[in-house]
Amino acid sequence: MAVATEYKTNLKPVWCPGCGDFGVLAAFTQAFSALGLRKENIVIVTGIGCSSRIAGYLNVYGFNSIHGRTLPIATGVKIANPHLTVIAAGGDGDAYSIGIGHIPHAARRNIDITYLVMDNEIYGLTKGQQSPTSPLGIYSSSTPLGTYERPLNTLEMLLSFNATFVAQAFSGDTKHLVELIIKAIKHKGFSFINCISPCPTYRGGMQIFKDIRAKLRYLDEEERDVSEKELAYRIARTKDYIPIGVIYQEEVDEYERVLEALREKSGAKKEIGLEEVLSTFIA
Amino acid sequence: MRRDIVLAIVGSGGDGVISAGEILARAAAHEGLNVFLTKSYGPQIRGGESSCRIRLSHDEILSPGDCLDVLFVFQWQDFHRFVEEYTLAEDCAIFVDEYDNTPESEIPIPKHLIPRIHKIPFEKIAEEKAGTKLAKNMALIGSVIELINWPEKAVNNAVEEKFKRKGEEVLRANLTAIETARLYVREHFSGKVDTTLQYEKGEAKLFMTGNEALCFGALLAGCRFYAGYPITPASEILEWFSTYMPKFGGTVMQAEDEIAAVGMAIGASYAGVKAMCGTSGPGMSLKTEMIGLASMAEIPLVVVDVQRTGPSTGIPTRTEQADLQIAVYGGHGDAPRAVLAPVDVEDCFFTAIDAFNIAEKFQLPVIILSDQFISQRKEAFPSFNGLEIEKIYRDLANDNPEERYQRYALVPNGISPTAIPGMPNHQYTAVGIEHDPIGNPSSTTQMHIKMSEKRAKKLLQISEEHPLLRTYGPEDADIALMGWGSTKGILKEIVKELCSNKLKVKCIIPRLLHPLPVSAISKALTGVSAVIFVEQSYSHQFYRYIRAHLDLPENVYQYSRAGGIPLTVGEVISFIKSALSLKELQEGKKIVTIASEISFKE
Repeated sequence: MAVATEYKTNLKPVWCPGCGDFGVLAAFTQAFSALGLRKENIVIVTGIGCSSRIAGYLNVYGFNSIHGRTLPIATGVKIANPHLTVIAAGGDGDAYSIGIGHIPHAARRNIDITYLVMDNEIYGLTKGQQSPTSPLGIYSSSTPLGTYERPLNTLEMLLSFNATFVAQAFSGDTKHLVELIIKAIKHKGFSFINCISPCPTYRGGMQIFKDIRAKLRYLDEEERDVSEKELAYRIARTKDYIPIGVIYQEEVDEYERVLEALREKSGAKKEIGLEEVLSTFIA
Repeated sequence: MRRDIVLAIVGSGGDGVISAGEILARAAAHEGLNVFLTKSYGPQIRGGESSCRIRLSHDEILSPGDCLDVLFVFQWQDFHRFVEEYTLAEDCAIFVDEYDNTPESEIPIPKHLIPRIHKIPFEKIAEEKAGTKLAKNMALIGSVIELINWPEKAVNNAVEEKFKRKGEEVLRANLTAIETARLYVREHFSGKVDTTLQYEKGEAKLFMTGNEALCFGALLAGCRFYAGYPITPASEILEWFSTYMPKFGGTVMQAEDEIAAVGMAIGASYAGVKAMCGTSGPGMSLKTEMIGLASMAEIPLVVVDVQRTGPSTGIPTRTEQADLQIAVYGGHGDAPRAVLAPVDVEDCFFTAIDAFNIAEKFQLPVIILSDQFISQRKEAFPSFNGLEIEKIYRDLANDNPEERYQRYALVPNGISPTAIPGMPNHQYTAVGIEHDPIGNPSSTTQMHIKMSEKRAKKLLQISEEHPLLRTYGPEDADIALMGWGSTKGILKEIVKELCSNKLKVKCIIPRLLHPLPVSAISKALTGVSAVIFVEQSYSHQFYRYIRAHLDLPENVYQYSRAGGIPLTVGEVISFIKSALSLKELQEGKKIVTIASEISFKE
């Protein structure tokens, strides 16, 4: 079994000092190690943004693709080879702005992919413009008078897409994030983690870690029924604290099982039938 | 007696026009005849006008035929929509349902052809003999059998096949309607109209659409992943694969949008499965960024663009050849890809196989430029000679690299051996960002130059190894017609026509459009003194593209019409005649002297 550091490449991250994404990188390597996954059997698909660079820092198969398209590519990978552990990752701009159209479809297919969004409420790579999760009224390089469009509630959104695993994490607590990633990978179906991963450079300085930490409330999954949707909605909607942990989880057939059933229904017979298909065209 | 006949059936939804056409065409293909079937509809989703045109011949069929020899109409009001595309031959025989009482002044055909109209009681026969008006298409089938000498037994077999599930009684009623109409026509028109086709029976042929041929070729080439989004006229690809792909252990995805479809195909291919996505013009516009990604990340990918008229929504149900530029140049940056264009239904099969082989061998996106005219028509052709084809799979890296695996190694031919997830010791990151040989991001000019060169090196090899080109006509031709894709049929027909008029004309049709097989085309142009470009693009996309790559002879003419109805032999021949005569007036060149001696058939 590989130790955590073996899942890292020797490429130096482009991230700023203090970037929350370092915690995510560390958490991934520890989770892979804890799960005993072979490096060659993991694929991480990312989009564009600071956080999407993570593919290059992990010594697994990676695909650092284009802006907003992690989920379709990850879907193709998983279907082509269901034995792979497929991770999709990116930032809040990549996920919730340009790529938001793909999220409900990955969720309703319940494809066995873990989608981790590093949410810093800002566009970091392009130097500090507002993002769809920026709170109202913050100053950014594209909102000199303060943001004036309401932010998305992404947890509530994922619940209403019928995602079968919805969680929130904080990259400042790597240990807890590792546990969540392990649960998400083990979950059979689409697992979603909104990981609060601050950008001290463009959004709040180092103080933001303290501010977030002060509002965190760790959810106890043993104490409540995680498959109770109404309760999950209440947690997702709360403004009193930042919920951390598994917000919702249910068991539904994952996509590959559905596809297998479909193949069976169609009478899948490998390596026969091309002649048969051709014969349907003979007049 | 005729050796070749063009007929059309026109009606409205519920008349069974399309199903009658399908039964007739399939029966003819069964008897070994050459058949060419196209369908047209009004804009209504259900109901509305519908029609089909069938050309039937003992000899090779290259086009739908410019003029109708025989026309069947249930109501004249349905014919209005098709006036533009159905030109009647001067000796056309026209058959209309007796029930239609359109006043002569309102019949939408040239006045002098009105005396050529005959009445047949299709609906009455259906009601009386089959007990339902719905069987009037059967009465029509019976009339066709008698008038044209259509293979009766094969038609009846096809009808039996269609109705046997509905019970003996329904089948009997339909067969009776056919027989009654046949006898009616024999009694009333025998010796009065000359619509009989002469042919010898042959082996049963394959009968399929271009979309079907393409799907089958892809399946045979090893495609096991298809992603699409519903779009006319490419939806049939998605539908066909949805039936057949799961039987072969493959997967079909109806994606949430056009971008997702191509993304899924790229993901599947990255993971080692031969993958394809299909669309039409609007979808191509959306997919261009992803095509650039496949080019940059060097991932084999096949994209089918079944062209329709554009820009924007255009005319979804009509054909055009104006996606050449987006296929060749679409997207930002220098993004090598190959572009192939099938020339007829049968060629869709071979093009799909070529596309997968080129994509796999050179690790890049390959675009197949089909069009509505090829994709939705049905043609009969002899069965493929066996299903043994050459199947190429991408070159995989050595199992035990001594050093860190370099996915994008700067190898001399630019095609670095790839790895697929699951292969130990070859973990790498496929990237859209410019990168070094390992795949690590690089923003140096020098690396960008080296990598651009690496990717571009594939192009020269493709045009050298696969100079796919078709020429028809004498090698020492004076005049060459140049076109691509679905215009091949009429160009070949024109070559035949002009050569039979003692002109030395050939046509040159590249099937590999990009990278252009320049030397093969130059060779074909040797000795040619005039080139006539024929294409369905208002802005001459093909002519401009060829002109940018080749030195052309002094005399160059272009016939470029916007899409819609496919080009006809007649309109192109008229152009050739006037273009060459005009030139004669201006300069009196050699080719013109030859041309002016010939009487053209228009």
